[in-house]
Amino acid sequence: MARIVAVLASLLRGLLQAAFIVMLTFFLCRVMPGDVVDVLGLEGGLTVEQQVEMRRSLGLDQSLPRQFADWAGQALHGDFGRSIRFDRPVGEMLATALPVTAKLAALSFCFGIGLALLLAIAATARPSRWLDATIDFVNTWSIAVPTFCAGVAAILVFSIWLGWLPVIGGLLVPVLVIGVDNAGQVVKSLREELREAVMLPHVRTARAKGLSPWRIAFAHVLPAAMPIVLALSGLVLGGLVAGSLTMEVLFALPGLGSLTLNAIHGRDYPIILAAVTLIAVALVAINTIVDMLHRLVDPRLA
Amino acid sequence: MAIQAVSAQEPGLGRAPSPRRHWPAGLILSCAIVLGVVAAGLTAPWLTANSPLDQDLLQLNKAPGGDFPLGTDHLGRDVFARLLYGARSTLGISLAGTAIAFAIGAGAGLLALTFGRWPAAVLFALIDLVRALPGTLLALLLIVGLGSGPGPLTLALGISFAPLVAYVTRATYRREAARDYVQAAASFCGGRLHILQRHILPNIAGALVTQAAIILPRCIVTESVLSFLGVGSSPDAPTWGRMIADSSRFVERAPHAILVPLVALVLLTLALSTIGNHLRRSLDPVRDAADRTAEDADDDQPAERARPQLATA
Repeated sequence: MARIVAVLASLLRGLLQAAFIVMLTFFLCRVMPGDVVDVLGLEGGLTVEQQVEMRRSLGLDQSLPRQFADWAGQALHGDFGRSIRFDRPVGEMLATALPVTAKLAALSFCFGIGLALLLAIAATARPSRWLDATIDFVNTWSIAVPTFCAGVAAILVFSIWLGWLPVIGGLLVPVLVIGVDNAGQVVKSLREELREAVMLPHVRTARAKGLSPWRIAFAHVLPAAMPIVLALSGLVLGGLVAGSLTMEVLFALPGLGSLTLNAIHGRDYPIILAAVTLIAVALVAINTIVDMLHRLVDPRLA
Repeated sequence: MAIQAVSAQEPGLGRAPSPRRHWPAGLILSCAIVLGVVAAGLTAPWLTANSPLDQDLLQLNKAPGGDFPLGTDHLGRDVFARLLYGARSTLGISLAGTAIAFAIGAGAGLLALTFGRWPAAVLFALIDLVRALPGTLLALLLIVGLGSGPGPLTLALGISFAPLVAYVTRATYRREAARDYVQAAASFCGGRLHILQRHILPNIAGALVTQAAIILPRCIVTESVLSFLGVGSSPDAPTWGRMIADSSRFVERAPHAILVPLVALVLLTLALSTIGNHLRRSLDPVRDAADRTAEDADDDQPAERARPQLATA
């Protein structure tokens, strides 16, 4: 019973978080200096009357709560409005951008967590100074080297000096860069967790029975540390979002990040709002699912 | 501490020198780098005659040498001058951002925790609502709302790191508030503010300083990411992130214009995080052990458990 209540509570919290973030975004978009009409006015030389007329037709002259209520009502029905600059439905634009970002994020996540797990398990099964040094290096790398710096360096080295890879379009370099960054964020905590799990009595028994170190690591140590792996994967998300943003801009990938940034520069509210809403809802959903899974897996929490 | 120091100096005991005396080479190097950057930022006008903003359109993308010790960028600006002045604004903005993060996170957090259950519950519920948004995205949105330029950038950095500071503050506060001497002070009818100021603050100061040293390099990195995305610092106050961002489109013709700020940025963040790690080990040695027991006692959220660990890692 207590577990069900806890799961429902985390669901409710997720909903509240998503709603709050959407409201915050809406408000920030509206207080930003210079709205879309100003930008278009500067570019296209609209007269004052035309600007007033445009504001009225876009509903920008109404009160903020009213505008938000209108927008939220339509958004709940799946209608995110039309882009002001491109005059295309926002939903359509998001649908073309989403797969690019989803692919980049999913591949980077798998590579990153896979690398972190591999390093941590290897260091548990066969402790060595080299592996620990590698783990330290990856961890320091993710702290000190921002993803876009690593991306720029990769372009410089692999594309320009060595001439191996095409600069633009390929997913390989972005996935490697974000993946290593993600791995560095979790690998150290993972290593510590596994180090503790090695001390557990059932692991000692397994070792006393003469099982191989790798078998012990995979079959006995890893399951015991699974809840923490789950929690850590949730933590990577922040780095994943920031990494995708910069990588999409740097490698000219037509994903959500590029779309959002172009919209910010052009003051195209419907796109900013819809894109951030999408990202926020996705993050909250993943966090909530991880949280609920965690509570289901680990009875001590609920 | 004093007793230990004296006994270590006595010749007859033959004890190894106290670990605090030992300064590893990496730490000395890191301190030297940070001091060098600070000095470069402070003395920039005396180190170079060139202005970081003057454009010389006849000397675009020049390789290092001659009048320009580190070459020029795509607008013919002196990379060396920009590097020196950039040290000033990079450090200035990040330091101010960290200070704001602490003023909000630690200041408001400690006050709320001191004044009982409800203020703290409300504050942390509020922080919890924005937690799902990654710091970079939150800062990006704040800049969208506040406008660009050094002021809004600093504020956005501060606000986006405040939740992290608040969580660490809460963890250390709870650990300290559960100690016997704090209970004793409370039973002597000590005022809440008095207890905070006299007993708790001195004992969590080490942990907070450590956290500041860990957040500062992350602030620098976030600032550079925002500048790279084109929403960060204004062109007149060039930060290193801005320099990398500006030159990233000309990486083929002027690799030096991007390598110089990139190497400087990585070295600085590396040095700062090394110092932060060392501070953590020497100022806050009980942290890990104490955290573990505290977490087992009142761990209500799985992500929160891992988050402070990550912050200190």
